[in-house]
Amino acid sequence: MKYVDEFRDPQLIEKAAAEIRRLAHPERRYRIMEVCGGHTHAIYRFGLQDLLPENLELIHGPGCPVCVLPMGRVDDGLKLAQNPQVTLTAFGDMMRVPGQMGSPLELKAKGADIRMVYSPLDALKLAEKNPDRQVVFFAIGFETTTPSTALTVLRAQKMGIENFTVFSNHVNIIPAMRAILDSPEIGLDGFIGPGHVSTVIGAAPYEAIAREYGRPVVVSGFEPLDLLQSLVMLLRQLNQGRAEVEIQYERAVSWEGNRAAQAVMAQVFELRPTFEWRGLGFIADSALKLRPAFAAWDAEVRFGVAGVRATEPGAAQCGEVLRGLLKPPQCQLFGKACTPEHPLGALMVSSEGACAAYYNYHRGPVAAED
Amino acid sequence: MPPVDLEFYSSCTLDQDGCTTCGDVAVPVYVVKVEGCEALVEDRLGQQASVATDLFPDLQIGDVLLVHMGVAIHRLPPPSSAQEEP
Repeated sequence: MKYVDEFRDPQLIEKAAAEIRRLAHPERRYRIMEVCGGHTHAIYRFGLQDLLPENLELIHGPGCPVCVLPMGRVDDGLKLAQNPQVTLTAFGDMMRVPGQMGSPLELKAKGADIRMVYSPLDALKLAEKNPDRQVVFFAIGFETTTPSTALTVLRAQKMGIENFTVFSNHVNIIPAMRAILDSPEIGLDGFIGPGHVSTVIGAAPYEAIAREYGRPVVVSGFEPLDLLQSLVMLLRQLNQGRAEVEIQYERAVSWEGNRAAQAVMAQVFELRPTFEWRGLGFIADSALKLRPAFAAWDAEVRFGVAGVRATEPGAAQCGEVLRGLLKPPQCQLFGKACTPEHPLGALMVSSEGACAAYYNYHRGPVAAED
Repeated sequence: MPPVDLEFYSSCTLDQDGCTTCGDVAVPVYVVKVEGCEALVEDRLGQQASVATDLFPDLQIGDVLLVHMGVAIHRLPPPSSAQEEP
């Protein structure tokens, strides 16, 4: 039997679900946040919520980078693309994220030179091949993605490519978890920690969360059984009054993470004093900009950035969904004005966004409301 | 042939079509050929790609990596030293 078959084996899954039901004390409620968009997607895709007891609620966290990017930063990027010298490059996920000026894809349709890339290294190659163009990479992502951008900047420096710059929107996961715990109305009991972010940063950084806030963190893999096992581990901790960091995804995650990746991130990037997150507001020390030593590859230094402050679409309630205060269908635009085909909020853009995942995979209640 | 069952780590493949950034997606692959700071890698479906391996200067053919956005971000331990049963 292949490993993935075991991780999706109905009997093993039912056994884990039964253990969760046994552990969930009926007299209390459990609110667990899965931080990562990949976990949100897996929960909806495999219908895991339906296996859980009523008093165990999964809250969908801020781990989808395009979902937490405020509209103003999208517009800042699009303003860069209006410079006739600039070719703006972005991951496919970013292309449909709406700002006030529209999405990158819509601006491209109007004639702006905006191109989709799979890797920041592809953007660097584009700059190498087009020395007459200023190629800007719209960098976004948590610590899984940041090393790729850092390596690309180091390669640009080594290769002496001067027409390549980075518009950095990289963010760090730990400050976001702290901000969520600092919002008392969210009322979380524990976290399912992100899997591949943790291959880079390791599990050790979550220990401060467990210690200071008294909330357990279990770093999880992405298969159905991974997630259910993680919930078993969290419930055992909560029932025993423990708040510790545990690694369920042991086959990929270590305590120390990838030191080489951490080193290149630290070499190229430094913390911004503050950065705005959609739904969470401004969070100190939560995002990264290029160090002054790499200013030559910093789009914000080379071109200046407008610093657009945009208001969210009037009736959209992305912020409440992001903070776990509303479920996606409780937003009045969900499935009506805001759909994956015509997203008004970023949560409906990425397939890992809570609204898109809910729209694509959750059937019963949505059909009933319609 | 991959030296291990790559699905042990994750079922993702190089043609993953979701949001790889938001999905925190990293694809397990094994190294077919090493060329300086690049390596030709293959996923569990036999799909190949060239990826940046700057973080692993001592890379060997057969090493198993996690790849994210065209860059190897982690070298995986063999299953014998990791968790063997789910």
